[in-house]
Amino acid sequence: MFSRIGYALRETWASFRRNLTLTAAAILTSAVSLLLVGTTFLIQRAFENLLVQWRGDVEMIVFVRSDASAEQITLIDSVLRASPTIIDVSKLTYLNKAESYEEAKRIFVGDPVTLSLLTPESIPTQFKVVPLSDDPMLVRSLSDQYRTLPGVEAVALAEDEFQVISTLSNFIRVVTLVMSLVLLVVAVGLIWNTIRTAMFARRREIEVMKLVGATNWFIRVPFMLEGLLQGLLGGVVSCGGLWALNSAWSSGVAGFKPGTGISSLIVPNSYLTSVMLILLGIGAVVGAVGSAIAATRFLDV
Amino acid sequence: MIRLENVTKIYGKDTAAVREASFDIPKNQFVFLVGPSGSGKSTLLRLMNRQEQPEFGDVWVAGRNINELPASRVPYLRRTMGNVFQDYKLLLNKTVFENVAFALEVIGKPRHVIERQVPTVLELVGLAGKRERFPEQLSGGEQQRVSIARAFVNRPLILLADEPTGNLDPTTSEGIMSLLDEINETGTTVVMATHDHRVVNAMRRRVIQLDNGVIVRDQERGVYE
Repeated sequence: MFSRIGYALRETWASFRRNLTLTAAAILTSAVSLLLVGTTFLIQRAFENLLVQWRGDVEMIVFVRSDASAEQITLIDSVLRASPTIIDVSKLTYLNKAESYEEAKRIFVGDPVTLSLLTPESIPTQFKVVPLSDDPMLVRSLSDQYRTLPGVEAVALAEDEFQVISTLSNFIRVVTLVMSLVLLVVAVGLIWNTIRTAMFARRREIEVMKLVGATNWFIRVPFMLEGLLQGLLGGVVSCGGLWALNSAWSSGVAGFKPGTGISSLIVPNSYLTSVMLILLGIGAVVGAVGSAIAATRFLDV
Repeated sequence: MIRLENVTKIYGKDTAAVREASFDIPKNQFVFLVGPSGSGKSTLLRLMNRQEQPEFGDVWVAGRNINELPASRVPYLRRTMGNVFQDYKLLLNKTVFENVAFALEVIGKPRHVIERQVPTVLELVGLAGKRERFPEQLSGGEQQRVSIARAFVNRPLILLADEPTGNLDPTTSEGIMSLLDEINETGTTVVMATHDHRVVNAMRRRVIQLDNGVIVRDQERGVYE
């Protein structure tokens, strides 16, 4: 058993060195495509910080003064519920101070100055409103009406604030996702080709192995390991790239003036770590798939 | 040991490489398959270790119908057979020892078995002193001896040899033939395809003659004609 594992590892390493240029190309391609996949994840997550307030079709937020009385809040609630034809009452939610503060922590993740001005006591609470009507004018006229209610601090409309960003984020998501998928397919193809070349270079050995009765798996495994390793190394390189990219971005954002939306576009380290793990996983799968196809397809040499 | 029953192998659309071939090779026999190039000798050998499968008929090896063998069992069938070729098929980047050891290594034999069996078989083929040489440093006859050592190191039941003397001069061929004879003496069945008259006539063993894929003669202690 140990001699078999030793054999597979020796052969993998030898073949790796033999095809250095092709191997490097395969690794770099998978690294670039994985980097793009990782960037997609990060951009998405960063935009989510910005859009977290508007999640779930929320179109209007009614901010309530932090010193509003319980009666005033009840009044606002009943006024909102008085228009069931325009507002989806079942989706109407109220965030109390603690919940609003939690949300603020995400919005101001890259803006500690603004966050420090807020406390769980001083923060406005909010009603999140999902409209039934598609008519923006109708929602707007409602918002004007709510602004005048006692205890209301402000009314924000998604249309004014984040619809552009939301659209932009969707667009970027689609573009980066398509590009990274295409590149991933290219990476599979390149690894496939590298393994095919490696197998062709060793066709005499494979022929002899088959004749003396080596099992197909025994012949295949070193090649599959080679592909797996290429994908995995691509993953490692992409993780390094992603880390560098994210560090540069985070330190760049820190230089922005507080209070601008840009400062929300920051990704916590725990999320970065899980994206890196995902990249390593995808890299390994890409390598294994590419080499498995080649090793099965070209065993008859 | 090997039995063919009405075996027909067709290449392409309607070119029969072997037609209605039937014979029975008992254990420990030495058999020559003779005939001109393209008469179907190599195809017969390839049918015996399932490099090819016949369109009609059955091939039995050691009591088993090998055409019904699942693909996953074919490697184990081949471990009971050694193969020798006209072009030796040695790995040029490996030494004599490594070439022979390779055959054991890839079927998962442990190191200590390899260390024991390879020197023994190199002794048998007369290459004990050249184990660290590379194939290109050897003569044709010596290379063929390495290839025979590789085929025999796992003590197969059957040795299939396809024109093993095809590239060798008469004197060297004699040496190779006496080596194959010696291997046959140990109880291994030997099937050898050849069109080398001298070798066949000198040995006086069973001769199966093929012409255009058809067996035209099957004779004990025969000559080439």
